[in-house]
Amino acid sequence: MSDYTYNKVTQEIVDELKEIIDSKYVIYEDTEKLEPYSHDEIAEKSYASMPEVVIKPRTVEEISRVMKLANRERIPVTPRGAGSGLSGGAVPLYGGILLSVERMNEILEIDRENLMAVVEPGVVTNDINEKVKEYGLFFAGYPMSVESCFIGGNVAENAGGGRAVKYGVTGRYILGLEVVTPEGDIINLGGKRVKDVVGYDFIKLMVGSEGTLGIFTKIIIKLLPLPTEKIDLLVLFNDVETAIKMVPMIMTNGRIIPTAVEFMDKLSFHTSYKYLNEHLPHEEAGAMLLIEVDGNSKTQLEEEYETIGALCLENDAIDVFVADNYTTQERVWKVRRNIAEALKVYSPIQTLEDIVVPMANIPKILPELKVIADKYDVLIPCYGHAGDGNLHATVVKKPEMDDKKWEETLDKVLTEMYQKTVELGGTISGEHGVGHKRKKYIGQALEPVTLELMKRVKLAFDPNNILNPGKIFNL
Amino acid sequence: MKIIVPIKQVPETSNVSMDPETGTMIRDGVESIINPLDLYAIEEAVNLKEEHGGEILVISMGPAKAEMAIREAISMGCDDGILLSNKEFAGSDTLATSYALSQAIKKFNPYDLIICGERATDGDTGQVGPGIAAWLDIPFTTYVSNIKEVNENSMIVQRMVETGYEILEIETPCLLTVIKEINYPRLPSMRGKLLAKKKEIKTWGPDDIGAKKDYLGLEGSPTRVVKISKPKVSRGGEILMPKNESELDKAVDGLIEYLQKKEII
Repeated sequence: MSDYTYNKVTQEIVDELKEIIDSKYVIYEDTEKLEPYSHDEIAEKSYASMPEVVIKPRTVEEISRVMKLANRERIPVTPRGAGSGLSGGAVPLYGGILLSVERMNEILEIDRENLMAVVEPGVVTNDINEKVKEYGLFFAGYPMSVESCFIGGNVAENAGGGRAVKYGVTGRYILGLEVVTPEGDIINLGGKRVKDVVGYDFIKLMVGSEGTLGIFTKIIIKLLPLPTEKIDLLVLFNDVETAIKMVPMIMTNGRIIPTAVEFMDKLSFHTSYKYLNEHLPHEEAGAMLLIEVDGNSKTQLEEEYETIGALCLENDAIDVFVADNYTTQERVWKVRRNIAEALKVYSPIQTLEDIVVPMANIPKILPELKVIADKYDVLIPCYGHAGDGNLHATVVKKPEMDDKKWEETLDKVLTEMYQKTVELGGTISGEHGVGHKRKKYIGQALEPVTLELMKRVKLAFDPNNILNPGKIFNL
Repeated sequence: MKIIVPIKQVPETSNVSMDPETGTMIRDGVESIINPLDLYAIEEAVNLKEEHGGEILVISMGPAKAEMAIREAISMGCDDGILLSNKEFAGSDTLATSYALSQAIKKFNPYDLIICGERATDGDTGQVGPGIAAWLDIPFTTYVSNIKEVNENSMIVQRMVETGYEILEIETPCLLTVIKEINYPRLPSMRGKLLAKKKEIKTWGPDDIGAKKDYLGLEGSPTRVVKISKPKVSRGGEILMPKNESELDKAVDGLIEYLQKKEII
């Protein structure tokens, strides 16, 4: 635990908070209303922690005053977006103030001349796309939980997702930030400029800082012309090696960068097909790739998918299926999207991981995971973003294993899994973040000196360790 | 076996919005797809071909772009396709449509089987299938959930009815409309797509099928759309909210009484 000690939120502090923020938006002593802010989307209760007070500020000035108050009184502050995270990043580990940006939800500007938009952190990421669609634009850095997540959380976690192969992750599209520092200063980083090499790149530092270095109050994002067409291929292979071998080949031999290359191992797609009551076309298949290409010309996309499909068939794919309209595309993506849900039906106790390895090492990590799974009598189905090496290796408790055994086992499984991942040039999280779920394992991924430097950076921004303490690492 | 599958191209309706003024669909930017329920007819035909050999002809009436639906069906395993497309066909209701389709099907005599989807997801009538059979004067049955046996001059099918299933023997040639339960439609394969791309799809007009013009289009359609209105949904309900534990029994009694009054229990 942290060496820093914090004070409790008293009635006086709540009164002061109510002077800063409209009292309607200060929740105190109402367990029922506080509870939803005690967890993110991790199901296990052990990762949850209750806030003492929840505040929903509307302006940057309010946040600035709250941070000054929190520093004076030594009260921890945890910023929160939609709470759709998967690493416990928005969980108020030390109680204190939970600062929700949900009311800061305006799209302030759509700048068509510069292909940019200025948004507040509480805007639902999907709403940005709904809004800019009419101008033929889109925000490319968005993850899979598009329906619910906030842009502020995406920036804080540097969220990735299925389309990172072609479009990269959130960070690529963040050009400017207005930030309230942990000490309550308001700073502006970057701006509406594509190039900027003046001083250290603090935007890069802020993106993915998991709410530990500052609270974003305004975000300048880059937009791209919206592709009008997309085609998906569902490709079946006998085994994982054959499937993964295809991924670089599509890019080198095929000279095509697909929008998405999703991978599913046998256990994942079997569970999902069963859950969806869908018919698996080839029982013998051992791996599947879901490949998407997008663009503005249907003819060009047809050429691209024919190239990719032909390459796959030449390289021992069992079969290639084509989805070029909404109905068939929904059918193929449903299989991928429902894996997590389907696995939960099989056994609700599990942990969703997002290890990342160099793409070419995916065939090497999978047998290692199998060895670990067999050794500890758990299941580790594996699916995810093959195009960028980011795998959702989900550790699933077999229904017959008892809960106590599971707890002991899980720690060993994760330690060994991360160990192998790092040995293969990978790291422990590609898009979900460390939060507090993975902080005990961070030493496996970072060198001691690096970790020490990171802690010093944290203290340079936040000398009292007030902002989101207990995340990423303990000080 | 020679199997004919009449299909319809429909707007993809899961993302569609309605014009609140006119009560009609806003068609701008809406994709056109094979009527989802026709996919089961196509799949069943392909299954029968795979088991018994033969050929499958897909036939559709619609605008020129309906050719895409025919190509999609070919990529799933059908062999050939005919598109009935001409301004004389425009505005046809289910009677005129089934007439035109039956005239085209006559060109392919002798055939063994016609398989249709249960209904189209846009018009929702389920009349065209049986209509075709009536014009052709062949036996038909609807809501088929399983083809159990295919014999020389007949087949045994199972159909879903309100109380369960019926098992019928039906003489061939005949027409069946099939329901979702019958199979899992396959996705188009790339090999199929490439084949379909090269295929020449013939477009026929009224003269090609020897159709009487006054049986087609608006003239041949007795159905008239007089008015489109949104049905009012009135869900009369009662909320019984016990404020504390002592009111709980009262609320439960209230619920039982309500359900009895409605003759639900």
